[in-house]
Amino acid sequence: MDSRNIQFMFWGLAVAWGLLAIYVVMLAARENRLQKQLDSLKRMLEEKQ
Amino acid sequence: MIFFQIAAKDLRSELRTKESLNASLSFAVVILLLFSFAFDPSGEAVAEFSGGLLWLVFAFAGALILNRSFARELPNDCLEVLIASPVSGAQLFLGKSVASFVLLLCIELICLPIFGIFYNITWTPKFWPLLGVFLLGTWGMTILGTLFSALTVNLSLRELMLPMLLYPMMIPALMSAMRLTTILLSGNDIGGDDLVWLRLLIGFDVVFTTLALALVETILVR
Amino acid sequence: MEKNIRIGIGAVAGLLLLRNLYVILFNLPDEMEQGPIYRIFYYHLPAYFTAMCCYMTALVTSVLYLTKRNLRYDAIAMSATEVGLAFAAVNLITGMIWGRVIWGIWWAWDARLTWALICWLVYFGYLMLRQAIDDPTERAKNSAVLSIFSFVSVAITYKAIEWWRTQHPGPVLSFRTGQQLIDPEMERMVYTNFLALLLLAFVMVTVRLNQENLQRQIDGLRRRAHAL
Repeated sequence: MDSRNIQFMFWGLAVAWGLLAIYVVMLAARENRLQKQLDSLKRMLEEKQ
Repeated sequence: MIFFQIAAKDLRSELRTKESLNASLSFAVVILLLFSFAFDPSGEAVAEFSGGLLWLVFAFAGALILNRSFARELPNDCLEVLIASPVSGAQLFLGKSVASFVLLLCIELICLPIFGIFYNITWTPKFWPLLGVFLLGTWGMTILGTLFSALTVNLSLRELMLPMLLYPMMIPALMSAMRLTTILLSGNDIGGDDLVWLRLLIGFDVVFTTLALALVETILVR
Repeated sequence: MEKNIRIGIGAVAGLLLLRNLYVILFNLPDEMEQGPIYRIFYYHLPAYFTAMCCYMTALVTSVLYLTKRNLRYDAIAMSATEVGLAFAAVNLITGMIWGRVIWGIWWAWDARLTWALICWLVYFGYLMLRQAIDDPTERAKNSAVLSIFSFVSVAITYKAIEWWRTQHPGPVLSFRTGQQLIDPEMERMVYTNFLALLLLAFVMVTVRLNQENLQRQIDGLRRRAHAL
Protein backbone atom coordinates (compact mmCIF):
# COMPACT_ATOMS: atom_id res chain seq x y z
CA MET A 1 0.00 0.00 0.00
CA ASP A 2 1.32 3.43 -0.86
CA SER A 3 1.46 6.25 1.63
CA ARG A 4 -1.35 8.08 -0.19
CA ASN A 5 -3.78 5.38 0.83
CA ILE A 6 -3.42 5.95 4.56
CA GLN A 7 -3.06 9.70 4.09
CA PHE A 8 -6.35 9.89 2.21
CA MET A 9 -7.99 7.74 4.86
CA PHE A 10 -7.18 10.42 7.41
CA TRP A 11 -8.42 13.11 5.07
CA GLY A 12 -11.63 11.20 4.59
CA LEU A 13 -12.27 10.77 8.29
CA ALA A 14 -11.34 14.41 8.88
CA VAL A 15 -13.84 15.53 6.25
CA ALA A 16 -16.59 13.38 7.75
CA TRP A 17 -16.02 14.81 11.21
CA GLY A 18 -15.28 18.28 9.91
CA LEU A 19 -18.45 18.63 7.86
CA LEU A 20 -20.61 17.56 10.79
CA ALA A 21 -18.68 19.93 13.05
CA ILE A 22 -19.27 22.78 10.59
CA TYR A 23 -22.98 22.04 10.62
CA VAL A 24 -23.02 21.99 14.42
CA VAL A 25 -21.21 25.35 14.47
CA MET A 26 -23.75 26.73 12.01
CA LEU A 27 -26.58 25.50 14.23
CA ALA A 28 -24.99 27.06 17.30
CA ALA A 29 -24.44 30.36 15.52
CA ARG A 30 -28.06 30.46 14.40
CA GLU A 31 -29.20 29.60 17.92
CA ASN A 32 -27.17 32.50 19.30
CA ARG A 33 -28.46 34.93 16.71
CA LEU A 34 -32.08 33.95 17.26
CA GLN A 35 -31.71 34.12 21.02
CA LYS A 36 -30.21 37.60 20.76
CA GLN A 37 -33.00 38.77 18.48
CA LEU A 38 -35.59 37.34 20.83
CA ASP A 39 -34.01 39.00 23.88
CA SER A 40 -33.70 42.41 22.24
CA LEU A 41 -37.29 42.21 20.99
CA LYS A 42 -38.54 41.28 24.44
CA ARG A 43 -36.60 44.14 25.99
CA MET A 44 -37.93 46.56 23.40
CA LEU A 45 -41.52 45.46 24.04
CA GLU A 46 -41.08 45.80 27.81
CA GLU A 47 -39.73 49.30 27.42
CA LYS A 48 -42.65 50.32 25.25
CA GLN A 49 -45.28 48.95 27.59
CA MET B 1 -63.05 17.49 -21.74
CA ILE B 2 -62.78 20.89 -20.08
CA PHE B 3 -59.00 20.61 -20.10
CA PHE B 4 -59.21 20.68 -23.88
CA GLN B 5 -60.91 24.07 -23.76
CA ILE B 6 -58.30 25.38 -21.33
CA ALA B 7 -55.57 24.19 -23.67
CA ALA B 8 -57.34 25.75 -26.65
CA LYS B 9 -57.70 29.04 -24.77
CA ASP B 10 -54.00 29.08 -23.90
CA LEU B 11 -52.95 28.21 -27.43
CA ARG B 12 -55.27 30.80 -28.93
CA SER B 13 -53.97 33.58 -26.73
CA GLU B 14 -50.41 32.47 -27.43
CA LEU B 15 -50.94 32.39 -31.18
CA ARG B 16 -52.44 35.89 -31.09
CA THR B 17 -49.45 37.47 -29.40
CA LYS B 18 -46.80 34.81 -30.12
CA GLU B 19 -44.74 36.37 -27.34
CA SER B 20 -43.31 33.26 -25.67
CA LEU B 21 -43.32 31.27 -28.91
CA ASN B 22 -41.15 33.81 -30.72
CA ALA B 23 -38.92 34.39 -27.75
CA SER B 24 -38.19 30.77 -27.04
CA LEU B 25 -37.80 29.86 -30.71
CA SER B 26 -35.24 32.57 -31.31
CA PHE B 27 -33.55 31.66 -28.03
CA ALA B 28 -33.33 28.03 -29.16
CA VAL B 29 -31.76 29.02 -32.47
CA VAL B 30 -29.26 31.28 -30.71
CA ILE B 31 -28.23 28.43 -28.44
CA LEU B 32 -27.91 26.07 -31.39
CA LEU B 33 -25.59 28.64 -32.94
CA LEU B 34 -23.62 29.15 -29.73
CA PHE B 35 -22.98 25.44 -29.31
CA SER B 36 -21.20 25.40 -32.67
CA PHE B 37 -18.43 27.53 -31.14
CA ALA B 38 -17.96 25.12 -28.24
CA PHE B 39 -16.70 22.33 -30.51
CA ASP B 40 -16.07 21.49 -34.12
CA PRO B 41 -19.57 21.34 -35.64
CA SER B 42 -18.42 19.54 -38.78
CA GLY B 43 -16.56 16.77 -36.92
CA GLU B 44 -17.45 13.12 -37.01
CA ALA B 45 -18.18 13.04 -33.28
CA VAL B 46 -21.18 15.37 -33.51
CA ALA B 47 -23.63 12.48 -33.81
CA GLU B 48 -22.39 11.12 -30.49
CA PHE B 49 -23.55 14.11 -28.50
CA SER B 50 -26.30 15.30 -30.84
CA GLY B 51 -29.02 14.08 -28.47
CA GLY B 52 -27.53 15.89 -25.51
CA LEU B 53 -27.16 19.08 -27.48
CA LEU B 54 -30.65 18.99 -28.89
CA TRP B 55 -32.32 18.31 -25.55
CA LEU B 56 -30.37 21.03 -23.79
CA VAL B 57 -31.73 23.44 -26.36
CA PHE B 58 -35.23 22.07 -25.78
CA ALA B 59 -34.81 22.35 -22.02
CA PHE B 60 -33.76 26.00 -22.27
CA ALA B 61 -36.56 26.83 -24.68
CA GLY B 62 -38.98 24.84 -22.54
CA ALA B 63 -38.18 26.82 -19.40
CA LEU B 64 -39.16 30.03 -21.22
CA ILE B 65 -42.50 28.60 -22.32
CA LEU B 66 -43.25 26.97 -18.97
CA ASN B 67 -42.49 30.16 -17.10
CA ARG B 68 -45.30 31.83 -18.98
CA SER B 69 -47.75 28.97 -18.48
CA PHE B 70 -49.22 30.20 -15.22
CA ALA B 71 -47.62 33.63 -15.16
CA ARG B 72 -49.73 34.50 -18.21
CA GLU B 73 -52.81 34.42 -15.98
CA LEU B 74 -51.44 36.85 -13.40
CA PRO B 75 -52.51 40.17 -14.98
CA ASN B 76 -56.13 41.07 -14.21
CA ASP B 77 -56.24 38.24 -11.62
CA CYS B 78 -57.15 35.69 -14.29
CA LEU B 79 -55.58 32.93 -12.21
CA GLU B 80 -57.88 33.67 -9.28
CA VAL B 81 -60.87 33.49 -11.58
CA LEU B 82 -59.72 30.22 -13.12
CA ILE B 83 -59.23 28.70 -9.67
CA ALA B 84 -62.59 29.97 -8.48
CA SER B 85 -64.35 28.64 -11.58
CA PRO B 86 -65.97 25.18 -11.45
CA VAL B 87 -63.06 23.76 -13.47
CA SER B 88 -61.20 21.27 -11.29
CA GLY B 89 -57.54 21.85 -10.53
CA ALA B 90 -56.53 18.70 -12.38
CA GLN B 91 -58.41 19.78 -15.52
CA LEU B 92 -56.89 23.26 -15.41
CA PHE B 93 -53.46 21.78 -14.92
CA LEU B 94 -53.88 19.22 -17.67
CA GLY B 95 -55.10 21.92 -20.07
CA LYS B 96 -52.09 24.11 -19.32
CA SER B 97 -49.74 21.14 -19.72
CA VAL B 98 -51.24 20.22 -23.06
CA ALA B 99 -50.90 23.80 -24.31
CA SER B 100 -47.23 24.01 -23.27
CA PHE B 101 -46.68 20.56 -24.71
CA VAL B 102 -47.99 21.57 -28.12
CA LEU B 103 -45.98 24.80 -28.15
CA LEU B 104 -42.77 23.09 -27.10
CA LEU B 105 -43.27 20.30 -29.61
CA CYS B 106 -43.68 22.88 -32.38
CA ILE B 107 -40.40 24.49 -31.36
CA GLU B 108 -38.69 21.11 -31.28
CA LEU B 109 -39.95 20.20 -34.73
CA ILE B 110 -38.69 23.52 -36.10
CA CYS B 111 -35.33 23.12 -34.36
CA LEU B 112 -34.72 19.60 -35.62
CA PRO B 113 -34.23 20.50 -39.33
CA ILE B 114 -32.21 23.58 -38.37
CA PHE B 115 -30.04 21.36 -36.23
CA GLY B 116 -29.69 18.87 -39.09
CA ILE B 117 -28.50 21.61 -41.43
CA PHE B 118 -26.11 23.29 -38.98
CA TYR B 119 -24.49 20.12 -37.72
CA ASN B 120 -24.75 17.94 -40.82
CA ILE B 121 -26.97 15.32 -39.20
CA THR B 122 -29.40 13.20 -41.19
CA TRP B 123 -32.54 12.70 -39.14
CA THR B 124 -35.13 11.92 -41.82
CA PRO B 125 -34.75 8.09 -41.90
CA LYS B 126 -35.45 7.86 -38.18
CA PHE B 127 -38.10 10.55 -38.00
CA TRP B 128 -40.96 8.47 -36.59
CA PRO B 129 -39.11 6.85 -33.68
CA LEU B 130 -37.50 10.24 -33.05
CA LEU B 131 -40.95 11.80 -32.88
CA GLY B 132 -41.92 9.14 -30.33
CA VAL B 133 -38.95 10.08 -28.15
CA PHE B 134 -39.79 13.76 -28.53
CA LEU B 135 -43.40 13.13 -27.49
CA LEU B 136 -42.40 11.18 -24.39
CA GLY B 137 -39.57 13.50 -23.36
CA THR B 138 -41.55 16.65 -23.97
CA TRP B 139 -44.53 15.32 -22.04
CA GLY B 140 -42.29 14.59 -19.06
CA MET B 141 -40.78 18.05 -19.26
CA THR B 142 -44.10 19.87 -19.58
CA ILE B 143 -45.98 17.93 -16.92
CA LEU B 144 -43.25 18.61 -14.37
CA GLY B 145 -42.61 22.12 -15.65
CA THR B 146 -46.27 23.12 -15.53
CA LEU B 147 -46.54 21.86 -11.98
CA PHE B 148 -43.47 23.84 -10.94
CA SER B 149 -44.80 26.79 -12.86
CA ALA B 150 -47.88 26.63 -10.64
CA LEU B 151 -45.65 26.20 -7.59
CA THR B 152 -43.54 29.26 -8.34
CA VAL B 153 -46.12 31.53 -9.96
CA ASN B 154 -46.47 33.84 -6.97
CA LEU B 155 -42.74 34.30 -6.37
CA SER B 156 -40.91 37.42 -7.32
CA LEU B 157 -37.94 35.28 -8.37
CA ARG B 158 -40.05 32.90 -10.44
CA GLU B 159 -37.98 33.19 -13.64
CA LEU B 160 -34.97 31.99 -11.61
CA MET B 161 -36.65 29.49 -9.35
CA LEU B 162 -38.40 27.52 -12.08
CA PRO B 163 -35.26 26.33 -13.92
CA MET B 164 -33.45 25.83 -10.64
CA LEU B 165 -36.13 23.45 -9.39
CA LEU B 166 -37.04 21.97 -12.74
CA TYR B 167 -33.69 20.99 -14.25
CA PRO B 168 -32.40 18.68 -11.51
CA MET B 169 -35.79 17.05 -11.12
CA MET B 170 -36.12 16.59 -14.86
CA ILE B 171 -32.79 14.78 -15.24
CA PRO B 172 -34.21 11.25 -15.55
CA ALA B 173 -36.39 12.26 -18.48
CA LEU B 174 -33.74 14.48 -20.01
CA MET B 175 -31.04 11.85 -19.63
CA SER B 176 -33.05 9.09 -21.26
CA ALA B 177 -34.36 11.36 -24.02
CA MET B 178 -30.78 12.44 -24.74
CA ARG B 179 -29.55 8.86 -24.94
CA LEU B 180 -32.41 7.68 -27.13
CA THR B 181 -32.07 10.67 -29.45
CA THR B 182 -28.34 10.12 -29.77
CA ILE B 183 -28.89 6.47 -30.64
CA LEU B 184 -31.47 7.36 -33.28
CA LEU B 185 -29.46 10.23 -34.77
CA SER B 186 -26.43 7.95 -35.06
CA GLY B 187 -28.56 5.81 -37.33
CA ASN B 188 -29.15 2.91 -34.95
CA ASP B 189 -32.35 1.35 -33.68
CA ILE B 190 -33.38 1.28 -30.05
CA GLY B 191 -33.06 -2.21 -28.67
CA GLY B 192 -31.21 -4.47 -26.28
CA ASP B 193 -29.56 -2.60 -23.44
CA ASP B 194 -30.93 0.76 -24.54
CA LEU B 195 -34.47 -0.27 -23.68
CA VAL B 196 -33.69 0.63 -20.07
CA TRP B 197 -33.71 4.28 -21.15
CA LEU B 198 -37.05 3.92 -22.86
CA ARG B 199 -38.45 2.26 -19.74
CA LEU B 200 -37.04 5.03 -17.57
CA LEU B 201 -38.59 7.70 -19.80
CA ILE B 202 -42.02 6.06 -19.80
CA GLY B 203 -41.77 5.39 -16.06
CA PHE B 204 -40.90 9.03 -15.45
CA ASP B 205 -43.91 10.20 -17.46
CA VAL B 206 -46.29 7.85 -15.67
CA VAL B 207 -44.99 8.54 -12.15
CA PHE B 208 -44.87 12.30 -12.46
CA THR B 209 -48.17 12.60 -14.32
CA THR B 210 -49.89 10.68 -11.53
CA LEU B 211 -48.13 12.61 -8.78
CA ALA B 212 -48.83 15.94 -10.45
CA LEU B 213 -52.51 15.23 -11.04
CA ALA B 214 -52.87 14.06 -7.44
CA LEU B 215 -51.15 17.09 -5.92
CA VAL B 216 -52.06 19.99 -8.18
CA GLU B 217 -55.35 20.70 -6.41
CA THR B 218 -53.49 21.36 -3.14
CA ILE B 219 -51.12 23.75 -4.89
CA LEU B 220 -53.75 25.82 -6.62
CA VAL B 221 -56.22 26.14 -3.77
CA ARG B 222 -55.01 28.32 -0.96
CA MET C 1 -36.46 19.16 30.42
CA GLU C 2 -36.60 18.80 26.65
CA LYS C 3 -33.26 20.52 26.43
CA ASN C 4 -31.71 18.09 28.91
CA ILE C 5 -32.92 15.08 26.95
CA ARG C 6 -31.41 16.65 23.86
CA ILE C 7 -28.08 17.19 25.57
CA GLY C 8 -28.19 13.64 26.93
CA ILE C 9 -28.80 12.04 23.53
CA GLY C 10 -26.21 14.33 21.99
CA ALA C 11 -23.64 13.23 24.58
CA VAL C 12 -24.42 9.56 23.97
CA ALA C 13 -24.05 10.10 20.22
CA GLY C 14 -20.75 11.94 20.67
CA LEU C 15 -19.29 9.30 22.99
CA LEU C 16 -20.41 6.51 20.69
CA LEU C 17 -18.82 8.29 17.74
CA LEU C 18 -15.53 8.66 19.62
CA ARG C 19 -15.57 5.06 20.72
CA ASN C 20 -16.33 3.94 17.16
CA LEU C 21 -13.51 6.09 15.83
CA TYR C 22 -11.11 4.39 18.22
CA VAL C 23 -12.28 0.90 17.23
CA ILE C 24 -12.22 1.78 13.52
CA LEU C 25 -8.69 3.11 13.70
CA PHE C 26 -7.01 0.69 16.10
CA ASN C 27 -9.03 -2.52 16.49
CA LEU C 28 -10.36 -3.32 13.05
CA PRO C 29 -7.83 -4.68 10.53
CA ASP C 30 -7.12 -3.20 7.09
CA GLU C 31 -9.20 -4.47 4.25
CA MET C 32 -7.38 -7.03 2.11
CA GLU C 33 -7.56 -5.31 -1.29
CA GLN C 34 -8.12 -1.66 -0.44
CA GLY C 35 -5.90 -1.15 2.58
CA PRO C 36 -6.60 1.47 5.23
CA ILE C 37 -8.71 3.67 2.93
CA TYR C 38 -11.69 1.34 3.29
CA ARG C 39 -12.28 2.82 6.77
CA ILE C 40 -13.94 5.78 5.08
CA PHE C 41 -16.74 3.35 4.34
CA TYR C 42 -17.74 3.38 8.04
CA TYR C 43 -18.75 7.00 7.58
CA HIS C 44 -19.68 6.94 3.91
CA LEU C 45 -22.42 4.34 4.19
CA PRO C 46 -23.91 5.27 7.60
CA ALA C 47 -24.00 8.93 6.52
CA TYR C 48 -25.93 7.88 3.43
CA PHE C 49 -28.37 5.84 5.52
CA THR C 50 -28.83 8.75 7.88
CA ALA C 51 -29.49 11.12 5.00
CA MET C 52 -32.03 8.61 3.64
CA CYS C 53 -33.77 8.51 7.01
CA CYS C 54 -33.89 12.31 7.04
CA TYR C 55 -35.34 12.47 3.53
CA MET C 56 -37.84 9.80 4.48
CA THR C 57 -38.87 11.80 7.55
CA ALA C 58 -39.26 14.84 5.33
CA LEU C 59 -41.50 12.86 2.98
CA VAL C 60 -43.69 11.50 5.78
CA THR C 61 -44.05 14.85 7.53
CA SER C 62 -44.76 16.59 4.22
CA VAL C 63 -47.60 14.19 3.54
CA LEU C 64 -48.78 14.65 7.12
CA TYR C 65 -48.71 18.42 6.65
CA LEU C 66 -50.83 18.19 3.51
CA THR C 67 -53.42 16.04 5.30
CA LYS C 68 -53.39 17.65 8.75
CA ARG C 69 -52.33 21.24 7.88
CA ASN C 70 -50.31 21.57 11.07
CA LEU C 71 -47.29 23.84 10.65
CA ARG C 72 -45.31 21.75 13.09
CA TYR C 73 -45.04 18.98 10.49
CA ASP C 74 -43.73 21.50 8.01
CA ALA C 75 -41.05 22.58 10.47
CA ILE C 76 -40.01 18.95 11.01
CA ALA C 77 -39.82 18.38 7.25
CA MET C 78 -37.62 21.42 6.82
CA SER C 79 -35.31 20.53 9.73
CA ALA C 80 -34.95 16.95 8.55
CA THR C 81 -34.14 18.08 5.02
CA GLU C 82 -31.45 20.48 6.18
CA VAL C 83 -29.81 17.87 8.44
CA GLY C 84 -30.15 15.31 5.65
CA LEU C 85 -28.24 17.63 3.32
CA ALA C 86 -25.38 17.84 5.83
CA PHE C 87 -25.14 14.05 6.03
CA ALA C 88 -25.50 13.67 2.28
CA ALA C 89 -22.58 16.06 1.91
CA VAL C 90 -20.50 13.82 4.20
CA ASN C 91 -21.51 10.87 2.04
CA LEU C 92 -20.60 12.61 -1.22
CA ILE C 93 -17.26 14.02 -0.14
CA THR C 94 -16.00 10.91 1.66
CA GLY C 95 -17.01 8.98 -1.44
CA MET C 96 -15.00 11.35 -3.62
CA ILE C 97 -11.90 10.89 -1.46
CA TRP C 98 -12.31 7.12 -1.59
CA GLY C 99 -12.72 7.27 -5.36
CA ARG C 100 -9.57 9.33 -5.75
CA VAL C 101 -7.53 6.50 -4.21
CA ILE C 102 -9.33 3.47 -5.61
CA TRP C 103 -10.42 4.74 -9.03
CA GLY C 104 -7.77 7.42 -9.41
CA ILE C 105 -10.36 10.14 -10.09
CA TRP C 106 -12.39 12.36 -7.81
CA TRP C 107 -15.64 11.95 -9.64
CA ALA C 108 -16.53 8.97 -11.80
CA TRP C 109 -19.88 10.20 -13.27
CA ASP C 110 -21.34 6.86 -12.51
CA ALA C 111 -25.05 6.39 -11.95
CA ARG C 112 -24.95 6.13 -8.17
CA LEU C 113 -22.72 9.17 -7.69
CA THR C 114 -24.65 11.24 -10.15
CA TRP C 115 -27.96 10.38 -8.54
CA ALA C 116 -26.67 11.15 -5.06
CA LEU C 117 -25.60 14.55 -6.37
CA ILE C 118 -28.94 15.11 -8.09
CA CYS C 119 -30.68 14.30 -4.81
CA TRP C 120 -28.55 16.86 -3.05
CA LEU C 121 -29.34 19.53 -5.63
CA VAL C 122 -33.04 18.73 -5.60
CA TYR C 123 -33.28 19.05 -1.83
CA PHE C 124 -31.14 22.17 -1.91
CA GLY C 125 -33.71 23.56 -4.33
CA TYR C 126 -36.34 22.72 -1.72
CA LEU C 127 -34.57 24.93 0.82
CA MET C 128 -34.18 27.68 -1.80
CA LEU C 129 -37.91 27.56 -2.55
CA ARG C 130 -38.65 27.91 1.15
CA GLN C 131 -36.53 31.02 1.33
CA ALA C 132 -38.35 32.57 -1.59
CA ILE C 133 -41.84 32.34 -0.04
CA ASP C 134 -42.77 34.61 2.84
CA ASP C 135 -46.24 33.48 3.80
CA PRO C 136 -45.88 30.50 6.22
CA THR C 137 -48.87 28.45 5.08
CA GLU C 138 -48.16 29.06 1.40
CA ARG C 139 -44.53 28.09 2.02
CA ALA C 140 -45.49 24.96 3.94
CA LYS C 141 -47.94 23.84 1.27
CA ASN C 142 -45.70 24.41 -1.74
CA SER C 143 -42.59 22.97 -0.17
CA ALA C 144 -44.48 19.90 1.04
CA VAL C 145 -45.50 19.21 -2.55
CA LEU C 146 -41.94 19.75 -3.72
CA SER C 147 -40.64 17.42 -1.02
CA ILE C 148 -42.92 14.63 -2.22
CA PHE C 149 -41.63 15.12 -5.76
CA SER C 150 -38.04 15.22 -4.55
CA PHE C 151 -38.35 11.84 -2.92
CA VAL C 152 -38.58 10.22 -6.34
CA SER C 153 -34.89 11.02 -6.82
CA VAL C 154 -34.06 9.41 -3.46
CA ALA C 155 -35.81 6.23 -4.56
CA ILE C 156 -33.92 6.25 -7.86
CA THR C 157 -30.61 6.74 -6.03
CA TYR C 158 -31.35 3.71 -3.91
CA LYS C 159 -32.10 1.60 -6.96
CA ALA C 160 -29.39 3.10 -9.20
CA ILE C 161 -26.81 0.36 -8.57
CA GLU C 162 -29.31 -2.22 -9.76
CA TRP C 163 -30.66 -0.36 -12.77
CA TRP C 164 -27.41 0.73 -14.33
CA ARG C 165 -24.07 -0.99 -14.62
CA THR C 166 -21.91 1.11 -12.37
CA GLN C 167 -18.41 1.33 -10.98
CA HIS C 168 -19.85 1.98 -7.57
CA PRO C 169 -19.49 -1.11 -5.35
CA GLY C 170 -22.69 -3.11 -5.17
CA PRO C 171 -24.57 -3.80 -1.96
CA VAL C 172 -22.41 -5.47 0.69
CA LEU C 173 -24.60 -5.49 3.78
CA SER C 174 -26.38 -8.78 4.40
CA PHE C 175 -29.90 -7.33 4.56
CA ARG C 176 -29.55 -6.27 0.93
CA THR C 177 -27.59 -9.22 -0.48
CA GLY C 178 -29.03 -12.05 1.61
CA GLN C 179 -25.58 -13.45 2.34
CA GLN C 180 -22.57 -12.61 4.44
CA LEU C 181 -20.18 -10.85 2.06
CA ILE C 182 -18.16 -8.90 4.60
CA ASP C 183 -16.72 -9.81 7.95
CA PRO C 184 -19.50 -9.77 10.59
CA GLU C 185 -17.39 -7.59 12.87
CA MET C 186 -17.02 -4.98 10.13
CA GLU C 187 -20.72 -5.15 9.34
CA ARG C 188 -21.54 -4.64 13.01
CA MET C 189 -19.34 -1.55 13.00
CA VAL C 190 -21.30 -0.11 10.09
CA TYR C 191 -24.50 -0.48 12.09
CA THR C 192 -22.99 0.91 15.30
CA ASN C 193 -21.72 3.97 13.52
CA PHE C 194 -25.06 4.32 11.75
CA LEU C 195 -26.73 4.33 15.16
CA ALA C 196 -24.32 7.00 16.39
CA LEU C 197 -24.90 9.21 13.34
CA LEU C 198 -28.63 8.65 13.52
CA LEU C 199 -28.69 9.79 17.15
CA LEU C 200 -26.63 12.81 16.19
CA ALA C 201 -29.01 13.56 13.32
CA PHE C 202 -31.96 13.26 15.69
CA VAL C 203 -30.44 15.80 18.06
CA MET C 204 -29.64 18.12 15.16
CA VAL C 205 -33.22 17.92 13.88
CA THR C 206 -34.65 18.72 17.30
CA VAL C 207 -32.25 21.65 17.71
CA ARG C 208 -33.21 22.97 14.30
CA LEU C 209 -36.88 22.46 15.14
CA ASN C 210 -36.46 24.42 18.32
CA GLN C 211 -34.86 27.22 16.33
CA GLU C 212 -37.88 27.24 14.04
CA ASN C 213 -40.06 27.75 17.11
CA LEU C 214 -37.79 30.58 18.25
CA GLN C 215 -38.11 32.13 14.81
CA ARG C 216 -41.87 31.96 15.04
CA GLN C 217 -41.79 33.59 18.48
CA ILE C 218 -39.59 36.34 17.07
CA ASP C 219 -41.95 36.89 14.15
CA GLY C 220 -44.87 37.09 16.56
CA LEU C 221 -43.09 39.60 18.77
CA ARG C 222 -42.10 41.64 15.71
CA ARG C 223 -45.73 41.88 14.68
CA ARG C 224 -46.63 43.02 18.19
CA ALA C 225 -43.83 45.56 18.13
CA HIS C 226 -45.16 46.92 14.85
CA ALA C 227 -48.66 47.09 16.26
CA LEU C 228 -47.55 49.13 19.24
